[in-house]
Amino acid sequence: MATIIINGTEHTLPEGEKLNAIQAAKLFGHEIPYYCWHPALSVVANCRMCEIEVGSKDPKTGEIKMVPKLVPGCQTPAKDGTVLVTDSEKVSVHQKMIMEYLLINHPLDCPVCDQAGQCGLQDYSYEYGQAAHRFVEERIVNPRKDVSDAIQLNQDRCIMCTRCVRFTREITGSGELNVINRGNHAEIDIFPGQPLDNPLAGNVVDLCPVGALLDKDFLHKQRFWFLSKHDSICTRCSTGCNIAAEENRGQLWRFRARYNPKVNDYWICDEGRSSYKSANEPNLLSAMFARGVAGGGLTQVGVEQATTLAREGLQRMAREGGAIAGILSPFLTVEEAYVMSAYLKGISSSAVLALGPIPSMGSDQTFTPDKIAGRNGDTSFLVPRPFTIHAEKCPNRMGVEAILSHFQGEVIDYAAISARVASGEFRALFVASDAIDPAYMEDDAAKLRRSDFLVVMDTTVTPLARLADVVLAGATFAEKAGSYVNFQGRLQYSEAALPPRDGSLPDLDLLAILSGKGTAPIHSRTILAEVATVVPAFSIVTEGKVPEFGVIIGGTPEPATVGAFPYTDPWLTPRGDHPTESGPNGRKQP
Amino acid sequence: MQPDDPSLKRMTPPKLNILEKTYLPQILGGLAVTGRHIFGAAIGGKTFTEQYPEEQHIPSANYRGVHRLNKDENGRIKCVACMLCATACPAHCIDIVGATAPDTWDDREKYPENFVIDELRCIYCGMCEEACPVDAIELTGLYDLTGLSREEMIFDKTKLLSVFDLTKSVEPMKTARTSATPGESSSTHELVTKPTDGPSMRAHS
Ligand code: SF4
Ligand code: SF4
Ligand code: SF4
Repeated sequence: MATIIINGTEHTLPEGEKLNAIQAAKLFGHEIPYYCWHPALSVVANCRMCEIEVGSKDPKTGEIKMVPKLVPGCQTPAKDGTVLVTDSEKVSVHQKMIMEYLLINHPLDCPVCDQAGQCGLQDYSYEYGQAAHRFVEERIVNPRKDVSDAIQLNQDRCIMCTRCVRFTREITGSGELNVINRGNHAEIDIFPGQPLDNPLAGNVVDLCPVGALLDKDFLHKQRFWFLSKHDSICTRCSTGCNIAAEENRGQLWRFRARYNPKVNDYWICDEGRSSYKSANEPNLLSAMFARGVAGGGLTQVGVEQATTLAREGLQRMAREGGAIAGILSPFLTVEEAYVMSAYLKGISSSAVLALGPIPSMGSDQTFTPDKIAGRNGDTSFLVPRPFTIHAEKCPNRMGVEAILSHFQGEVIDYAAISARVASGEFRALFVASDAIDPAYMEDDAAKLRRSDFLVVMDTTVTPLARLADVVLAGATFAEKAGSYVNFQGRLQYSEAALPPRDGSLPDLDLLAILSGKGTAPIHSRTILAEVATVVPAFSIVTEGKVPEFGVIIGGTPEPATVGAFPYTDPWLTPRGDHPTESGPNGRKQP
Repeated sequence: MQPDDPSLKRMTPPKLNILEKTYLPQILGGLAVTGRHIFGAAIGGKTFTEQYPEEQHIPSANYRGVHRLNKDENGRIKCVACMLCATACPAHCIDIVGATAPDTWDDREKYPENFVIDELRCIYCGMCEEACPVDAIELTGLYDLTGLSREEMIFDKTKLLSVFDLTKSVEPMKTARTSATPGESSSTHELVTKPTDGPSMRAHS
């Protein structure tokens, strides 16, 4: 059993994990401040912020020997008998000095800096720095520049931690960024004519501990503290990356990556990052419509009338002995797919359920960082994990398939069902879509319209919706809460980031009204708990709660993951969660 | 904050004596003020009433009235769209749309594309003025703020900048005021006593 002594207290280290001093200290509630270290990147120890007093305890004599000089914590392995002192006078004098150095050329323009509020320099200045600044010489002024069409670099705010450089070298392997010039004049730059445009480039903005690398899409639009963050899942492809969806005033402003070592590690792709925009589209379906209420065309109707017309229409067809079919899109959550399947099977036990079209684009693209190859610094603490952008551009094919297989033993794909509908086999058809890019175009519409009664639930105005008898305005990915099953078969829960837009209702509520469960809002958690008891594949879920990093459904055991401690850069942790906050005001006392 | 928070200071109200418990001294004290005002006006000829609007009221120099957005020496809006005023505002009545400053403004990076204050929702606390790092927003001595509709009382950037033009001669920017010799600049008084100086607040189009 390995023990480590931190600030005079002994702690037992976890088995099988190779930790450095920063991680070990954090595990036991002590903060060692740092900038340049990142768990996925090699250790370069260039910011010097994490220097602490390190020593070792002789296992036989019990004598403690300290290293005379301060040592970077990021490079210090936490082993049996390691002694760390993180709060001595010597350490704090050093931290003050480093902060003063880092701020020598800093423009101190927090009021106009997008990083303010989530900035490593602000947080550490407050906690470890000093108010006085002794540098009277002229500051180096480095103008801002673009490193790509999407990313701006305000070089004068940069602290030369080289996190961004290491990311492009070690994770994407594309190496667009590098350090030019030396000493005081060192700068981050790209090679002429080679912009930072790899598919994961946006992650350097998340990685930068200060406001140097900025997303031009978000630039100057909002302040960090106005945004409420929602733990969501990206629906742009079947990877199911964990994201923080940031909302203010009923609008999404950006997505940032959220750590999940079992899915996306610390990263998201640029396509997913910009997919928030589709939830802000002004021309999303904003009302319910029905045909034949007044005249022949589609007329705008209220929720109650639309759902009543849909329900009565479907029931009438079933009573008259007509066949009913439902097409469930892979953008539906598990809960929605379940309620919709149960509803259609409830109307007619012979109802046919099918999977909607699976959007696909290009081919899978995998980044496989190596533990050693392509890296320069100390890589002994790294646990490299691959990251894949999938060609399958929908979040929940596996989940919907699991539900469909439960209800009818097989999954009917879209080609099969559309041919069957076109042959006139079905009298009533219920199509649920919610796809990000409109899913049903003219030729689909022509085939699917062969049924006598057509209900469409969607978020965009598609050619199919124009031909429908009842159009229900459902929720976009941002407006619905629920769970998705990603390419690994991992069930993950996604919070709603936006309230339902005017004129629409979340699909789960619409389906609940249709199936006569009343008009009160339905919690996805209640439904998931029901799914777990009814559908054996989901039986691993207890009380409708999905674990933090998701859970593999279908009885497959969870693969073991090393180094999967929850991780967020300290400057991104919400206030109040800070490990060093101890004073009565929630802040360390000076 | 928890009730057992050690930084909370507990106060005990002072004990009242028997006379104070009757509340008579306080009542008599109040009546004395009323009496002074009645007899002061009737006998001493000392009135307390202001004949507004025939006589214009002159607010004190630190009166908090309608906001203005200051301009710099080049006539550009001083505000850098940091949204700290909107953050500080307890009434949530400031709405700013930030944007990257034009390339020709080499001294700054950000400016407000739009800046809206709902003057009806504002509680005139002055927190915005307090929060501003560049002294761009200030509360002026203008108090006769009236309008015929709610929409009219929502001031946009143009309107707020025009309040600056209207009041700058009598109320120089606070930064300028601290460096200027006292007395050199008068307060809002001139503006208010000579209402013909500029357009009335109501004449806004
Ligand atoms: S731009 Fe940001 S991430 Fe890159 S070296 Fe500078 S501070 Fe570090
Ligand atoms: S005076 Fe107070 S309430 Fe009015 S805008 Fe300023 S901060 Fe808000
Ligand atoms: S605090 Fe000042 S600079 Fe910042 S947005 Fe408000 S008026 Fe503009």
